Amino acid sequence: MSLKDEAAVVGVAVARAEGADAQLAMPDLAIVAANAALADAGLERADVQGFCSPSGVCDHGALASQMGVPEVSFSATLTSGSGGGAGALALAAAAISGGFADVVVTLSRYESAPRSGGTGPNALLRPPPGAAASAYGLSGGPGPDGALSAPAALRSYGAAAALTANAYLHRYGISREHVGRWVVQARANAGEKLSLDDYLAAPLVIDPFSELDAAPGIATSYVAAVVTANVERARDLDQPLVVIAGAATGGSPINGAPWQGPAELVASSGHRDVAADVYGMAGASASDIDVALLADDFSPWVLMQLEDYGFCGVGEGGTFVADGRAVVGGTVAVNTHGGNITDAFARGVTHIDEAVRQLRGTATNQVPDASTALVTGDPGTMPLSAVIMRRA
Amino acid sequence: MTTTEPTAKPFRNMPPPNLTDPYADARTQPFWDAARQEQLLGPKCAQCGTFRMPPSTFCPVCLSRELAWEPLPGTGTVYTFIVVRHPLNPMAADYVPFMPAAIDADGAPGMRFISNVVDCEPEDVRVGMPVRVVWNHVSNTLTLPFWTPV
Amino acid sequence: MGTFEHQPPVTLTDPAADDWTQGFWDAAAEGRLAVTRCSSCGTFRLPPGRFCRACGSQEVTYETLPGTGTVFTCTVVRQPLSAQDAAGFEEYVPAVIDADGAPGARFVSAVVDCAPDDVAPGMKVRVVWDRVSDALSLPYWTPE
Repeated sequence: MSLKDEAAVVGVAVARAEGADAQLAMPDLAIVAANAALADAGLERADVQGFCSPSGVCDHGALASQMGVPEVSFSATLTSGSGGGAGALALAAAAISGGFADVVVTLSRYESAPRSGGTGPNALLRPPPGAAASAYGLSGGPGPDGALSAPAALRSYGAAAALTANAYLHRYGISREHVGRWVVQARANAGEKLSLDDYLAAPLVIDPFSELDAAPGIATSYVAAVVTANVERARDLDQPLVVIAGAATGGSPINGAPWQGPAELVASSGHRDVAADVYGMAGASASDIDVALLADDFSPWVLMQLEDYGFCGVGEGGTFVADGRAVVGGTVAVNTHGGNITDAFARGVTHIDEAVRQLRGTATNQVPDASTALVTGDPGTMPLSAVIMRRA
Repeated sequence: MTTTEPTAKPFRNMPPPNLTDPYADARTQPFWDAARQEQLLGPKCAQCGTFRMPPSTFCPVCLSRELAWEPLPGTGTVYTFIVVRHPLNPMAADYVPFMPAAIDADGAPGMRFISNVVDCEPEDVRVGMPVRVVWNHVSNTLTLPFWTPV
Repeated sequence: MGTFEHQPPVTLTDPAADDWTQGFWDAAAEGRLAVTRCSSCGTFRLPPGRFCRACGSQEVTYETLPGTGTVFTCTVVRQPLSAQDAAGFEEYVPAVIDADGAPGARFVSAVVDCAPDDVAPGMKVRVVWDRVSDALSLPYWTPE
């Protein structure tokens, strides 16, 4: 028994804190996003029965009360927000499958990142002054365990990610040129020009990352809302039916101690088990995926996930993208909207947004007859996550 | 028990004075301006007339962002209350017992003020008790409404 | 700036040691590299945590290591990551080190006294100490 084909994604929308909404804080921006997604679905506030998020977005009680949702029978959050989206969708589908709610609104929040003390705009690489130290508490921040890694002066999540990325690139002899070919492709998908020479000339911040290798800070905060519904309910709505065929959230113990596992696991996206779970539930394999929206706060994550999701062999991510196989018309179209390392992220085009557009047939870089999409959450903190959606 | 004299209080059984500024923003400033003039206002949706507390950005009924402030007569009834007898914070030692209460204000159906019943003994407060607003001028930005038996 | 060339900014003044990490800092003050080891089943572990991942025991010992190791992965911080690092910034090399004698446990530190572009996974290194105060010594690694 599983949630396969029991829930459908029926509405998507993004609300940006700009114009008349420039001053909106939470839960107000979430109210705007949720209502827009409901309108996209053809549903009303009175239809909503549940809320979920990848990590703290706003108090669901305040949201329900101020939005005018009469009754809530499901309210939950995952244990980590990294990469947003995919895992929270798994949670929403589980709520529907479990009979807790027929309609669930999932919310993810992306905050504008202020310039970091004048040294640059990218918060993943350089955190704003006073921001929390890097992921996993390994910055030498407060705490007995953190102190043991203090000598490394890892100031940011990006610094920790760089160590993982380099372990991967070195282990398999993948160069920045390989990664750069992916970055160039991603930029082209987003309608932005970037040459490989430009990429290689960009100054490194923390090896192997230049500013072009990490999701940029965004100028305008936004909230992304996704409405999921019981599939029977979804059939009565006007949008093409997009069902959740499989979902998985999890990880491995090294998520809590990132460099202390077997070398081949450390030098990977960590998604191998999640991939097996989501494919198993959906009854699918890599060859069934028409479009893959792979979490990409850092460019090498895409190569690493191509391997862990079976689009190519372990260590072959570099040649896969360099050979031009991760494109519309190739083996699998990857991040057709560009992804988080492009301005798509800043504009509010999320991976789930793009997956739904592809399956509805309304995407900009449309994969002809796209019928199955994979969306993943970032490597990093637990849970890692993945969702497979199918046009039904 | 303290050995110092309690500071003079404008009301008997009033709560400890922990707030000196209302942290007003554009939306709530009208309430505090009227309070200084000893006028009680109730927040309501300018579009559909639904009263709501607190005065959130959106009306939960019609989603309008237009907020109106309705002058209220200043009478009401106690919906529920508690009696605080134990000073959880040392600064409350001179103020216990005091009675936080939710008040149904006349003229503002469907919303309640959270406030305090003052100038009243704890054993005399009851659910449904008719009360009227009285004003505590705390500072030049903050006047707080309290409620006392009619 | 600092004791070594290409030394990362020193951020730690108080290691907030508890029963499970005190052994590391005591050994460090004496110039010894020590690692947490489960007293019950012998599994090495970093970060120390409070429980053995293998057997769940909370009993630990600190085992002195030879002080040599191999670079598992590394990076070079080429621009200041924080405004407080900007003045006199020098590139530094955070690294994860497989320490000899402690299979399965890796130290997170930095390689010093070496040109950053010369550091690579597989490089043999040995521990060196920055005696920040009488009570606190920090471990770094330098090529053998």
